Amino acid sequence: MIDTQPVIRTEGLTKVFGKVRALDGLDLTVRPGEVHGFLGPNGSGKSTTIRVILGLMKATSGRAELFGGDPWRDAPRLHRRLAYVAGDVALWPALTGGQCLDILGATQGGVDERRRADLVERFELDPTKRVRDYSKGNRQKVALIAALAADADLLVLDEPTSGLDPLMEQAFQQCVRERRDDGVTVLLSSHMMGEVEALADRVSIIRRGRTVTSGTLADLRSRTRSVVHAVTAQKPDGLADADGVADYKQDGPHGQVDSRFTIDPDHLDSVIGRLHAAEIRTLTVTPPSLDSLFLRNYGPTPDPDEAARDESHTETAR
Amino acid sequence: MTDRRNGTSERTNGLGIMLGIVGRIQRRSALIWVFALGATMLGTAAAVAALYDTPAKIHTYAEAVTSGNALVAINGKVEGIDSLGGVIQDEFGFMAAFLLPLLGIALVARSTRREEESGRLELLLGGRIARHEPALAALIVATATIAATGMMFAIGLAVSGVPLARSMLYALSLAGLAFVFAGLAALLAQLTRHARDVYAWSLILLAASVVLRGVGDVTETWLTWLSPLGWAEKAAPFGDQRWWTLAIPLAVGVTLSGAALRLAARRDLGSALVRGGAGPEHASAWLRSPIGLAIWIHRPATLGWFAGGALLTGAMGALTQQALDAMVGNSAFAEAMGITHGRPLDGFVAAVQLYLAVIATGYVVQAIGTLRAEEADGRLETRLSGTLSRTRWLASHSLVVLAGLIVIVLGCSLVLGLATAISVGDMAEFGPTLSAGLAYLPAELVLAGLALAVYGLRPRMFPIAWAGYAAVTFIAFLGPGLKFPQWVLDLSPTTHAGNPPEGAIQFGALTITAAVALALIVMGFAAFRRRGVPQS
Repeated sequence: MIDTQPVIRTEGLTKVFGKVRALDGLDLTVRPGEVHGFLGPNGSGKSTTIRVILGLMKATSGRAELFGGDPWRDAPRLHRRLAYVAGDVALWPALTGGQCLDILGATQGGVDERRRADLVERFELDPTKRVRDYSKGNRQKVALIAALAADADLLVLDEPTSGLDPLMEQAFQQCVRERRDDGVTVLLSSHMMGEVEALADRVSIIRRGRTVTSGTLADLRSRTRSVVHAVTAQKPDGLADADGVADYKQDGPHGQVDSRFTIDPDHLDSVIGRLHAAEIRTLTVTPPSLDSLFLRNYGPTPDPDEAARDESHTETAR
Repeated sequence: MTDRRNGTSERTNGLGIMLGIVGRIQRRSALIWVFALGATMLGTAAAVAALYDTPAKIHTYAEAVTSGNALVAINGKVEGIDSLGGVIQDEFGFMAAFLLPLLGIALVARSTRREEESGRLELLLGGRIARHEPALAALIVATATIAATGMMFAIGLAVSGVPLARSMLYALSLAGLAFVFAGLAALLAQLTRHARDVYAWSLILLAASVVLRGVGDVTETWLTWLSPLGWAEKAAPFGDQRWWTLAIPLAVGVTLSGAALRLAARRDLGSALVRGGAGPEHASAWLRSPIGLAIWIHRPATLGWFAGGALLTGAMGALTQQALDAMVGNSAFAEAMGITHGRPLDGFVAAVQLYLAVIATGYVVQAIGTLRAEEADGRLETRLSGTLSRTRWLASHSLVVLAGLIVIVLGCSLVLGLATAISVGDMAEFGPTLSAGLAYLPAELVLAGLALAVYGLRPRMFPIAWAGYAAVTFIAFLGPGLKFPQWVLDLSPTTHAGNPPEGAIQFGALTITAAVALALIVMGFAAFRRRGVPQS
């Protein structure tokens, strides 16, 4: 039997601090076994949502469920099944990294000592060093190792890779995949598109304390426009007015015709037909990245050049 | 030429910017220091002026305090005590000996090593600020604050009827004391890695200064001249008025500051003379438990307060016989110590126990303040994301603080009992001394309860707990000697212990005090369970 009860579910969650509305009707559902990307700009309410889910803060209104239970009333029992990495990792400066790992492990449901030793090696952490002598990245590693070594059903990771170098980020992604293969559910809050794109099965994007969109990556992509850049020998016929085309720009240096536009997924085929008729010299179709999804949800629609640039930026960042 | 001029102007500019930053960071705490210290001095001066309003009364007081060494050891040897100013200097002496050094230490440590530790200094040095300028700005702001405090002192004294020149000298000698410790803290901030170590080493050196001054004064030797506290005392503002002694703290302070600036200009950012080495790879089973970690967190502070308490009670206890000799046939001395009736020995022990109660109360307020730091730094959030419940977390810390309190009270009472017994050659007072210490526990717990309640409700308001502590300290130290009205005395829970062993332990009042403490503690726990974490 497959367990279909959501691991995390919030409905219409609001949280008000004084005059500030940090959460404003936030809905989030994380299903068992998935890596769920939780995206939003700084200050959009990601950490507050996580704190409510963990029962550290009480929602002003709305529902929050963790493993089907009420996290505010039942936090310690529910926490037995999860491990958490806070956005700002704070440890005891006078203790060593190894001591902190043990202390963090002691309040988790259980620790797999072999996996811990393996992780210490993979993340190249010196556990005999004092926390006060660690760099920010190394402090982050301590918290990550503690969480990844835990015998947990759920990992809640709040911007876990800030401060890690690209190599360690690779190691982190590999570890998260391994944990997912073990059947662990992961809530991964981040504002790094590349990371979420590389790991997440499903994504929720929030803005100003409210869920803007959520779904699988394929889902979200199908709702977003691809960027097309085509160089043709002749001027494509009626392209500017074709169904599904927007942001059309054309110029024609050196006897060729250079067309840039965005296209919705349903009309891609017919547009390619028109380009083909005009003799394609080069053609790039860039599928929507999480970046463009993100920007679409946050800013004005990016023009094709910018979207293409953002795309390449993500590629290198990954 | 032009380049060079530009360079110079940029450098001056850097210091200007740095002064602006330090001034902004310190503005509030500096103002609080200046006005709190100024008000304490004005309050003391006004109370003394009202109480000792005739030369005859002043003379009796002077006779009393100079007839034994116990008070000399605590308050210092006041030259020209047979005057209004002299009485004020004597009454203010004990508080001045730790408040003014603390002023200098706190002002400097806060804006030097703490800023470096947090990484904020790195941000600034990446800009136009030269390496020595943050330390220089910190020293300038500290010096200005100390000068302002001195001015408040001089005005307060003059208003109360002390001659202006003497008021000025006394105020300057106290400012000099603060200045020496500001310079010392600036130097230590370059040598140690953490603001905490700056405090620890400064306070150790302050304790050494207290001992040197005390021993020097009692034995009437040159040892006093080795202590910054001695330099202030030897200015003799109400005696011979040795203005030249002001040059000593000035020279020492400037030398220490100069050394600090030189080091700051030369050393690497984040470096220190003392570096930590490697440590164990695993936490012991003990450290993994909530109680064990709480013990580990509170141990350094507990030991520090214990050491301070043991030092005070040991020194006072050792001087018991001398104090008793002084009291024979001199009721004014007893009065100066707040002893009004009953056996002199009991009265003496009671006075020391009250001082110990103030120390123990300071410990609990500070220890509970540590919980706020755990939360503000973000460690509590991680702690509570596991199987540990809020109540268990707060309970383990409360238990450890309570145990620390009992250790301090019992340990110091033991030291006092032994020292007293050795001094008078009689063990009979041992039991009553211990039970007197324990009788203050409910009063100390009221302040612990206040601190817990504030922490549970609004951790940001924690200064309320410190304000409560300041009020208790003020009433306990100055209340009996300056004959505050009963309702003011009654505000402090320490009053309700009944001044044991001189007075009988008031079990009824103790029960009520304990009930108040318990109510406050329960309130703190209940509020903490209901509020969001983290709240800074």
